[in-house]
Amino acid sequence: MLTITNLHATIGGTEILKGLSLTINAGEIHAIMGPNGAGKSTLAYTLGGRPGYEVTDGTATFDGQDLLALEPHERAAAGLFLGFQYPVEIPGVSNLQFLRESLNAQRRARGEEPLSGAEFIRLAKEKAGLLKMDMDMLKRPVNVGFSGGEKKRNEMVQMGIIDPKLALLDETDSGLDIDALRIVGEGINTIMRKPDRAVLLITHYQRLLDLVKPDFVHVLAGGRIVRSGGAELALELEEQGYEAVA
Amino acid sequence: MTDDSTPADTKTRDADAWAAAEKASTYEWGFSSAIEQEMAPKGLTEDTVRYISAKKNEPEWMLDWRLKAFRIWQTLETPDWAKLNVPPIDYQDAYYYAEPKAKPKLGSLDEVDPEILEVYKKLGIPIEEQKVLANVEGARRVAVDAVFDSVSVATTFREELSRAGVIFMSISEAIREYPDLVKKWLGKVVPVRDNYFATLNCAVFSDGTFVYIPEGVRCPMELSTYFRINAENTGQFERTLIIADKGSYVSYLEGCTAPQRDENQLHAAVVELVAMDDAEIKYSTVQNWYPGDAEGKGGIYNFVTKRGLAQGARSKISWTQVETGSAVTWKYPSCVLNGEDSVGEFYSVAVTNNYQQADTGTKMIHNGKGSRSTIVSKGISAGRSNNTYRGLVRVAPGAEGVRNFTQCDSLLLGDQCGAHTVPYIEVRNPSAQIEHEATTSKISDDQLFYAMQRGLSAEEAVALIVNGFAREVLKQLPMEFAVEAQKLLGISLEGSVG
Amino acid sequence: MTNVIPLPTRRDEAWRYADLDALARVWGDVPQGPERITVAAGETLAKQIVLPVAMSGVSIVDLDVVIEAGATFALHLLATDADYGRMSVNVLLHEGAHFEMGGAILGNGEQTLEIVTQVNHAHPNATSNQVVRSVLAGHATGSFLGKVAVARHAQKTDASQSVKAMLLDRTATANAKPELEIYADDVKCAHGATVGELDKAALFYMAARGLPPQLARKLMLQAFIADAFVSLDDDVAREAIESRALAALEGLV
Repeated sequence: MLTITNLHATIGGTEILKGLSLTINAGEIHAIMGPNGAGKSTLAYTLGGRPGYEVTDGTATFDGQDLLALEPHERAAAGLFLGFQYPVEIPGVSNLQFLRESLNAQRRARGEEPLSGAEFIRLAKEKAGLLKMDMDMLKRPVNVGFSGGEKKRNEMVQMGIIDPKLALLDETDSGLDIDALRIVGEGINTIMRKPDRAVLLITHYQRLLDLVKPDFVHVLAGGRIVRSGGAELALELEEQGYEAVA
Repeated sequence: MTDDSTPADTKTRDADAWAAAEKASTYEWGFSSAIEQEMAPKGLTEDTVRYISAKKNEPEWMLDWRLKAFRIWQTLETPDWAKLNVPPIDYQDAYYYAEPKAKPKLGSLDEVDPEILEVYKKLGIPIEEQKVLANVEGARRVAVDAVFDSVSVATTFREELSRAGVIFMSISEAIREYPDLVKKWLGKVVPVRDNYFATLNCAVFSDGTFVYIPEGVRCPMELSTYFRINAENTGQFERTLIIADKGSYVSYLEGCTAPQRDENQLHAAVVELVAMDDAEIKYSTVQNWYPGDAEGKGGIYNFVTKRGLAQGARSKISWTQVETGSAVTWKYPSCVLNGEDSVGEFYSVAVTNNYQQADTGTKMIHNGKGSRSTIVSKGISAGRSNNTYRGLVRVAPGAEGVRNFTQCDSLLLGDQCGAHTVPYIEVRNPSAQIEHEATTSKISDDQLFYAMQRGLSAEEAVALIVNGFAREVLKQLPMEFAVEAQKLLGISLEGSVG
Repeated sequence: MTNVIPLPTRRDEAWRYADLDALARVWGDVPQGPERITVAAGETLAKQIVLPVAMSGVSIVDLDVVIEAGATFALHLLATDADYGRMSVNVLLHEGAHFEMGGAILGNGEQTLEIVTQVNHAHPNATSNQVVRSVLAGHATGSFLGKVAVARHAQKTDASQSVKAMLLDRTATANAKPELEIYADDVKCAHGATVGELDKAALFYMAARGLPPQLARKLMLQAFIADAFVSLDDDVAREAIESRALAALEGLV
C-alpha cells in the first residue's frame, strides 16, 4: 500500500529524515517508536505534505501513485489520514460542517456522489457513538475548547467518518487517560483492522500497543529506521530503552 | 550680532536661580548650580543660528545646513497638539545656547570643574557610574559623555574606545573631525523638514553625541550620556547620531534631569540611529526632567524626535524608555525597518502625576521583507495627569512576512487622571501578521489590602504593584538603569495615593 | 440644498482613511446631519443596516444614537456595495445601558469602505461590545476607526472592541484605529486588533482531511465573517444579513 524508499526531508534547511525506507502492506499495522527528535512527527508531516517539510531525495508510493507529487488534500482524497499530535483549533467552523465538507470534497475527487445532510448525520452519529463522543461536541467549533483527550478522540471520530485506507496516527495516545485510551484503541481496531486497511502508529509507549497489537515495530533514530521486528521489539524497547536496542 | 551676553548678567541670573533652587526641595534633582555660563542673546533669528555655528567653529557646510533648516522652520506651522494642552511657546523668549564659560579642553573627567562634578553627583549619576568616574577597579564599564546644558563637557574612556575603533565624541567635534560620516547621515533618518521641533533642532542644535561603531565591533562598554538643563530659559537642543556598521553592537544609555525652575523650559532633541547589516543598537532612556510642581507650574516641555533606521539585513534597533519627568512629553521613538528580516522593538513605561501630560509611543514602519517588531507600552496615570499611547504600525505592500505584536496597558491611579490609547494599524500586505492588544486597569482594593496586610505602606504597595505592572519593560533595561528606574517610579508617584 | 459643512480633510482624524475625492464629488448631496435614534429607558432595539447602493457609488450611513438608562441597542452593519462607503455611528450610553455592535466590511476592486464609531460612556455601569471583521481583495481599502470614550465618573464601564482584518491580495489595504479615551479608573476597557492571513496550521489540517485549498479558505472566511453577527439574537434577521455578507464573500474568493 505504502512504499517509502530512501526518504530525505528537511525543515528550514535542516535535514531530519536521512534515508528512511519502509513498506506497509494492506492489512498490516505498523508501529514506529523512537526517542524525541528522531524524526517521527517529521515523517508523519512529510507524508501528509505539510508546507515547510521539503523532500530532498527518495520516493513514497501510495497505492501505485507518487504520493509526494500530490497536494495535501489530494493525499487525503487518495485515502491517507493523518491523525495530528496537536489537532488544530478552527474557531467558528463546526465539526459537523468541517467533516461533511471534507468528506464530500474527497468523494467528489474520487468521482463518488456526495453524501446528503441526512446520510452524513447518520454516519457521524454512528462513528461518534463508537468513540463514545457526545453529538453536542460535533456541533461545536473544531477542537475549540476541547481538552487534550477530547481532541484526540475527535481525531478518531474524524477517522471513522472519513474511513481512510491508511491512517498515520501521530502520538494519538498522548494526553489520554486509561479509559480514553481503551476507547481510542478499540476505535482503531474497529475502524482500521481490516484486510484492505493499514495503520502506522507513531508512539512512545507500549500501552497503546497492548490495545492495538502491531504486526511490525520499527525503531526510528537519527532520521532513519535502525531496527525492525515484531510486536516483541516494543516490549524489548520498553524494558531496555532505545539506546540498548538501537 | 554682537557678543553682548555679559558675564555679569549671567552671574546675577544664576545667583537668583541658585537662591530659588535652594528653596525648592520637592524635586530631588531641583538644584541649579552657580557655574558661569556663556549664553547666546535671547531670541531666535538667523543671527542666533550664525552665533551658535560660529561658537562651535563649524565648517561652512554645517552653517548652510542650519540656515536652510531655519528658513524651513519659519514656514512651518506649530503642530496641533494631539491630546496635549500646551500653551503657545514664545520662541523669541528663550536662550538657544548656553555653555559653561572657559570651556575646558579635557582629557579626563578628573580635570572637569569640581563644581560640574558636584552637579553630576547631585544628579544622582548611578553609583556604578560614579565608581567608573572614580576609576574604581572592577566597576562595570560605562563611558560617559555628559551634556551639560549645551556643550559636551568631556568623555571618559575615549582611549579604550578608540582602540576598538569606536568613535564616541560630541557631535560638534565629529562635525570637525569626521565631516564625511556626519554629512552622510545627519538628517537622513530624521529629515530636516520632518516636523516642527526636529526642524528647529536642525537650526539651533547646540551639541550632542556622535557614535560610530565600525564593522564587526562589539562596543566594549555601554555608552552613556547625561543630559542636564541648567540655565534658566535655555532650550536644550541636543542632537545624537549613532551609526552601527555591519555586524556591530552598541548599547547606549541616556539619562536626563533638569533643575527646578518656575518657567517651562523647552527641550527639543533629535536622535538618529542607523544600523547596517547584522548590526544592533540598543538605546535606553530614563527621562526625569523636572515635571512641574504639584499645581502644574513649571516643568520641561519635552518634544523629542527619535528614530532609528534598521537599514541592513537582520539589523536590529531596540528602544527602551522610562519616562517619569517633564510637564509635557511628546515623543515617538520609531523604527524604519528597511532591511530584510530587520527587527524593531519599543519598550516603554510612562508615568504621569499631578498635571503632567505625556503623549508617547512609537512608529514601526515595515518596508523590509520578514521584518518584525514588538511594542510593549505601560502607561501609569495619577493625579490630574493625562497619559496617551499613540503608535503606528505600517506594512508596505512589498514587505512579505511581516510580524508585529503590540501590547498597550494602562493603569489608572485615582479618578481625576486620564489614560488613552491611540493605535494606528495600516497594512498593505496580506502575509502580515499584526496583533494589537490594549487593556486598562486600576490597582484593586484587594491587591492593595493584601500588600498592606503583609506590612507595606500604601505608597510602598502602590510602588510594588506599579513595578510589577511595568516589569516587562524594566527588565529590558541594563541592570543599574533598571534599579534607578524602579526607584524613580516610586518617587514619581509619591502623593498619588490617599 | 447644498451642504454647508466644509468638506473634511485628511487632517480630520475621523476621515483619515476616507476616499475624499469620491466624497467631494457628492458632497453637495450628502444629507445634512445624521439619522437620530433613541432607545427609550429599559427598551431593547435591534437594527441591521446594509450599506445602500447609490447611483453615485458613494454611500454614507450616519447614525446618532442615544441609549437611555438600562436600554439595549444591537446594531449590525454590512458595508460592501459602494465605491466609497462609510458607516458612521455615534453612540451615547446612559446609566446601565448596553450597546452591541457587529460590523462586516467586504471589499474588492477599487472600493474604499469604512466603519467609524464613537461610543461615549458618559454615565456609570454601561457596557459596550464592538466586533468588526473585514475581508479585502483586489485594490480595496477597508478601515475601522472606533473610539471608546469614558467620561469622568462613568465608573464600572465595561467596553470592548475586537477588530480583525484579512487581506486576500497584496494590493488590498486594511486600516484599524481602535482608540480608548479613559477618564475613570474603575473601568474594564480592552481592545484587540489583528490583521493577518488565515491560520496556516488550520489550512493544512483542513487539507489533511481532504478539503481543497479554495474551499478550506472559504470555510474559514465564512466563520471569520460570521463572528460579526453572532451577537444578533433573532435567527431570521441574523441569517438575512449573514447571507448578504456570504454572498458578497463569494465575490471575493
